[in-house]
Amino acid sequence: MRHSTALSTVKIKKLCTAGVLLTALLAAASLFIGKYPLSLRELMEGNELQWKVFRTLRAGRTCVGLAGGFALGTAGFVYQTVFRNPLASPDIIGVSSGASAGAAVGILFLSGAAAVTASAFGGALLAVGIVLGLSALDRSGKKGTIVLAGIAVHSLAQTVLTCLKLAADPERQLASIEYWIMGSLNGISSYAIGGNLLLCLLCLGILFPLHRQIILLSGEEGEARMLGVNVGKLRLLVLLAATLAVSAVVSLTGLISFVGLLAPHGARLMTKDNRPGTMLLAGLLGSSLLLGADILARSLTAAELPVSIFTSLLGAPFLILLIWRKAGKS
Amino acid sequence: MSFFAVDHLTAGYGKNPVVRDLSFSLDSGCLLGILGANGSGKTTLLKAVCGILPHTGSCTLEQKVLEELSPRQMARQCSYIPQKSGIAIDISALEVVLMGFNPWLGLLERPDTAMKEEACRMLALVGLEGKEECNYLTLSEGQKQLCILARTLCCGTGLLLLDEPESALDFRFRHQMLEILRDWVSCGGRAAVVTLHDPLLALNYCDRLLVLSEGRSLGMLGPKEDSAEKMEALLGQIYGRISLTRLKDRGGRERLVMLKE
Repeated sequence: MRHSTALSTVKIKKLCTAGVLLTALLAAASLFIGKYPLSLRELMEGNELQWKVFRTLRAGRTCVGLAGGFALGTAGFVYQTVFRNPLASPDIIGVSSGASAGAAVGILFLSGAAAVTASAFGGALLAVGIVLGLSALDRSGKKGTIVLAGIAVHSLAQTVLTCLKLAADPERQLASIEYWIMGSLNGISSYAIGGNLLLCLLCLGILFPLHRQIILLSGEEGEARMLGVNVGKLRLLVLLAATLAVSAVVSLTGLISFVGLLAPHGARLMTKDNRPGTMLLAGLLGSSLLLGADILARSLTAAELPVSIFTSLLGAPFLILLIWRKAGKS
Repeated sequence: MSFFAVDHLTAGYGKNPVVRDLSFSLDSGCLLGILGANGSGKTTLLKAVCGILPHTGSCTLEQKVLEELSPRQMARQCSYIPQKSGIAIDISALEVVLMGFNPWLGLLERPDTAMKEEACRMLALVGLEGKEECNYLTLSEGQKQLCILARTLCCGTGLLLLDEPESALDFRFRHQMLEILRDWVSCGGRAAVVTLHDPLLALNYCDRLLVLSEGRSLGMLGPKEDSAEKMEALLGQIYGRISLTRLKDRGGRERLVMLKE
């Protein structure tokens, strides 16, 4: 009796096609839904105000939702595979904490949204640099060293963040820090995202062709080495690409919870596999989740809500449904 | 000049050597079995040979010093089957076997159709025909071990290092695995080193036996040519008092039987 649990390539392709369609639908909705609704007819007629809103606010916001969610989902897949840990996410090597501390420095000592974004990106890069530098001290190159270094940097960044909050003006700066940490796609300007999106696409362009190598890294280190993998260098390249992609996103949006954790699990539960199609599906689920959450965050109440509330609200039941279906089948 | 040689190898964990100043060599076409009690250094020896553990001394395969090779060059010369594979993600058995071609593929290259056909052939050879699309994690431990053996046979290397490959296998598959290894080494330009817990398998399938105790070699045996008394004396040092008898099976082949006294 064949007890195959892997879906055929055809079925994975169908799932990816459905993911592309859902993401495209939500991206289109994201362009037109909001406090100032846009209509396709008026855009076609050349309405100046509509075009201004489209260019300056909606296009950039939708692009960040699309690329950001995709990057978070893909990076989550990479982290969980390389660390062989189903709970692994960008936080495991302190990138989100570094970005938060960087953003707090920007809010306190710099002026302007672009400066805060740059500072958050700098904080994320600094955290990654320290983690990878510390792990390089262990010449055996064990992946547990990276996790330990990540925990240390995460704690350090949290301490810095707490100190900065204590020093912040409670009326203005503290609220800004808290709002940034909660995450939002609000206020993202189309003119300030080019560099981040380019970096994000570059990193994704490195990760997808390396899928086969990422799978090889999921085994024991000695086993991977005996399959011809230069474990230390390849793991560094893969983690650096995944982390830079996440840094480029969270420095624009603030912390987005759950996407990096849920999207890869959702994709794996649907495909029951780890083929390149599953990695693509993880990215597409990430995009759909972030775009859907952002649409709700900006349209449910008069005030814009933090997007992480909705990524969790949409994501958690979806994950529970998948687990329930899996349990039912088994 | 021997096909594979280990010269004054010392290896261990931290500052405690487990294998001490070990030297041996083997010719092409040889299946070497390593016997020894738990903790005698069998696994440490294999890990040191394939460069996973730091060590002193050297290992030479066809006049190439293994310590000087990059991971990729090493993987083209020598394959290793651990006691248990670390694969812990959902992946098909075929994809696991295809990993064996990695040393021959570029970083971004994917296995071609010929490689996939070869991988299917290897799965069939180890008795896993029809399991190509099965999730590796859903296979039994014995089937997983056979799947990893198929992967190793795809590597196209000259030296196989196997760490207790029979431990999760039933009676039939134990003998099948050793038969496959025997056929593999007999193709020429190849040798295999296998650690075993079952002395009967070692005595009946291996050309040479290296007996280890506390990280040192007690001696080398040739089950086909050495007398039963000589083997009893050496193996007795790790198993206690034993009796070895040569019998013929129904096909007329001579077999060694070991009894514990």
